[in-house]
Amino acid sequence: MPHALANYSRTAIGIVIVALLLFPVYWMLNTSLQGSENLLETEWFPFDLSLEGYQRAIDSQLGNLATSLLISIGAVIVCLAIAAPAAYGLSRTNIGGRSVAVFIVLLLITQMIPGIVIANGLYPLYNSAGLLNTIPGLILADASHGIPFCILLIRAFMQNIPHSLLEAARIDGAGEVRVFLSVVLPLSRNALVTAAVFSFLFAWSDFLFALTLTNGSTVVPITLSMYVFVGAHTQSWAALMATATLASIPAAVLLVIAQKYIASGVTGGAVK
Amino acid sequence: MTTHRRKRLSALAAAAALPIVLLSACASGGGGGAGASEDEELTLTAFDYYTDEPSHTNMGDRLNACAAEVNATVEHRSVPSNQYNQQVLQAIQSKDLPDILMVNNPDLPQFAETGALRPLTELDIDTSAYYESVLNVGKYEDELYGLAPNVNSLVLFYNEAMLAEAGIQPPTTWAELEAAAAALTTPDRYGFVYAGQAGTEGTWTFIPFLWSNGGSQLELDAPEAVEALEFYTGLALKGYVTTDVVNYTQADAKDQFAAGRAAMMINGPWQIPSLNETEGLEWASVPIPVPNAGDDVVAPLGGELWTVPVTDDERERRAAHIVECLNSPETQLETALTNNTVPSNEEVAQQLIEEQPEMESIVQTVSTAYPLTGDSGTKWPIVNEQISVALQSVITGQADPQTAMESAQAAVSAE
Amino acid sequence: MTNSSLTGDRTGVPRRAPGAAGDAPRPPLETQGGRRGMRPRTRSAIVTWAFILPAAVYLLVFFGYPIVSNLTMSFQDFTTATFFTGEAPWVGFDNYVAVVGSGLFAKLTANTAIFTIVSLTVTFLIGLGLALFFNRYFPLNKVLRALLLLPWLLPLIISSAVWRRMMEGETGILNVVLEGLGLSGVSWLTNPDIALYSIIIVNIWVGIPFVMVIIYGGLQEIPKDYYEAASLDGATGWRSFASITWPLLRPVVVVVLMLGFIYTIRVLDIILALTGGGPANATETYASRAYHLSFVNFEFGRGAALSNILIIVSLIVAAFQLRANKRASDLAG
Repeated sequence: MPHALANYSRTAIGIVIVALLLFPVYWMLNTSLQGSENLLETEWFPFDLSLEGYQRAIDSQLGNLATSLLISIGAVIVCLAIAAPAAYGLSRTNIGGRSVAVFIVLLLITQMIPGIVIANGLYPLYNSAGLLNTIPGLILADASHGIPFCILLIRAFMQNIPHSLLEAARIDGAGEVRVFLSVVLPLSRNALVTAAVFSFLFAWSDFLFALTLTNGSTVVPITLSMYVFVGAHTQSWAALMATATLASIPAAVLLVIAQKYIASGVTGGAVK
Repeated sequence: MTTHRRKRLSALAAAAALPIVLLSACASGGGGGAGASEDEELTLTAFDYYTDEPSHTNMGDRLNACAAEVNATVEHRSVPSNQYNQQVLQAIQSKDLPDILMVNNPDLPQFAETGALRPLTELDIDTSAYYESVLNVGKYEDELYGLAPNVNSLVLFYNEAMLAEAGIQPPTTWAELEAAAAALTTPDRYGFVYAGQAGTEGTWTFIPFLWSNGGSQLELDAPEAVEALEFYTGLALKGYVTTDVVNYTQADAKDQFAAGRAAMMINGPWQIPSLNETEGLEWASVPIPVPNAGDDVVAPLGGELWTVPVTDDERERRAAHIVECLNSPETQLETALTNNTVPSNEEVAQQLIEEQPEMESIVQTVSTAYPLTGDSGTKWPIVNEQISVALQSVITGQADPQTAMESAQAAVSAE
Repeated sequence: MTNSSLTGDRTGVPRRAPGAAGDAPRPPLETQGGRRGMRPRTRSAIVTWAFILPAAVYLLVFFGYPIVSNLTMSFQDFTTATFFTGEAPWVGFDNYVAVVGSGLFAKLTANTAIFTIVSLTVTFLIGLGLALFFNRYFPLNKVLRALLLLPWLLPLIISSAVWRRMMEGETGILNVVLEGLGLSGVSWLTNPDIALYSIIIVNIWVGIPFVMVIIYGGLQEIPKDYYEAASLDGATGWRSFASITWPLLRPVVVVVLMLGFIYTIRVLDIILALTGGGPANATETYASRAYHLSFVNFEFGRGAALSNILIIVSLIVAAFQLRANKRASDLAG
């Protein structure tokens, strides 16, 4: 009995911690449900419930949400297509530990570059390639948030694939590409799912590239339109927060579904 | 020599712009063909930062109405103002210039310096009807680059009910302002509020005090400037203005005023629609108080200039017409009425007062105003930054006005 | 089923983890194949490189090129005119000298150091605490853990806007609560002595889920029977943490701290959204200053120089962290 009691008191503490840490999120929801305009004070609870904010958010932001979805899915595909083969290559030992180490250090260095430096550098390249204001352009750029991370993460998983499995396939006459596609990839499913979730989240929350590589009128991801909202006027807090809430939904759903992959995936990727 | 260089550059720019022109022509299905001929319909692009509604739609409509006169349509793009300069510079760098470019007047020196803007005098625009002061706003090194159909400045807004209740007349001098601010400060509200956030919004709210006292942006340690800063920040140090203003934008100041948490504020007329929407708020405005009765208020003249970037002859010709058309009396009045700005043409401005009496104080202010970067020119970025730092250090008690202004001036001189 | 065979393989060798740079030696299978002669071996290496090639090309374009152009820019007098004419005279190290020699540099360095170190330390401790807390089973554990990830999902633009509203001096909910409790309100964002710490609070809030998730994952990898064995020896609570959890968790900790440092030192959005670097430069860091130099003051060369200084500091600290870890794990045997 004391054991069960200890469990429940842990649950209680856990609820308190979560409530404290999620207060800003609650505040976002709360504000989104209060219709009153131009009010500095927000009530503690949305007693004066109004869905006006959501009405306005859906009217004006649905297209931008779709744009973000399209770009994020594209970024996931690019990310996996580039990271998975590279991860496999780097998990093999026939190119020397030193080259692998150098490559991994380079991956780490990419994480140190301030985003604004990358965006500035990309602009002229994108301009000459005709990629400004295009969805493919943003997909490629957004993939950069995830690729180094995904390579490290997937490689860690692939390192642990028993060599006997690969060797068996090779003895059966499979070429490297076959081995990769039909043995390595299926075995790395968990890592691939984790990598996909992360690259989706990175792309979904991207703001810098949306800001610098578009002109804000043709291709408008949700983060950019929210920025315009915030920057313009603080008049429509309800609508702004409603948009923010809507923008969090796909990511939240994804995280709940993929939660078990994330915990193990991140650790594996980060450590090995 | 410079003309020679310009020609070479424009040829270069035209060549670089060609693929883009082609591309946009194909995209709009407008039957191909490189350089535009006189009677061909063109799609011109216009670039500004009017992202807010209804300004965005209004501006788009006006641009297209003007464009229709020269057989063109306008693709109107708006970027948030705090990213605007970056976007424009990137467009300049990639030679992907819009045909019509809006430039906020403090930034004109920076953009004109690039050589990407066509001097308007080369473009057959009749400027004889314009007032000298307005033309000055659009000049860089004595060359006219932009025209501001409408200009703007700052005034003192006050809450009529609160002043009436306290039996106070709207202040006209610094002494009256301080007395009013003191009397209007209660436990629930402050007497006065202004924007003080790091950056331009905070700086230019202070400029009327600097200039009306005879100070200059290039002599920040002069007694006039120190005195202005001392008075301005003193209102906060004495508790009549919340010291939170160091993080307030002009929109934040407006929110405080509209919510009844401040009885007076310095702000621009672009806040009027939002003030009018606030239920139960009775407000009015007067010119910003001056040091002594009878002084002229010298407020910064703000305004969005329309410029014509270097593209090709035909596009520039039509763009110039659109810029001219945006500056016509009718458009000026319409813009003034929908965007709460002051027409550059004084007659039109008087007409505006008849239709919108609440604009009287601002029209009056504009008549003696001076371009925001009039005395600092290309030094504006550093002046802006240093005034902002000085202001914030005094309000937050880190420095006294004298020291703050001395170090500001030292930094400006060091550039 | 493949899943369990994989985990079996991993948990069997938990001490192998410390090869943090990632080149843990393993049985050289390919060298066995190499006995067939040099050519197949070279050929197989080429095939391996072919797998890596797309990533290498991508990294060159999306990271290499921007770095090179930023380096170039930092040695040039790059003005607004340069954007149009493309002409930017070389000025050697002038931009670096100007940035480092400016009166603000000492303050920037102090702010950057405080911001990074305090953020990282507190985020790490809270994240570790939460991970340990959630590592035990209790009802609703999974749901609560999932909910804690939410701050991570909100785009920074939005969370900063919400926090700014909450930290407003007069009407913000934080001060309303404090005053309701009979305490005096805090000038969260407008007192130069406090503003930096307010920003740190927001940054910690954003960073907790990341740290918690990684460390929680690390804890899950530690085989439960280790603890059982230790508890038979009487090691529980703090002692089991010190003798089992911490040593086995160390590789994860190294990674968290290193990535955390890299991500924290370059934080920009939160600063711009909450204070814009003010009041009176109290919250200006290398990252926000680099942004202001380039895009507010149009001093692109200096902005680029400061960005490069930021990258170099990151590199040096990361190298030290790796070295320190290597020495520690060598000592640990």
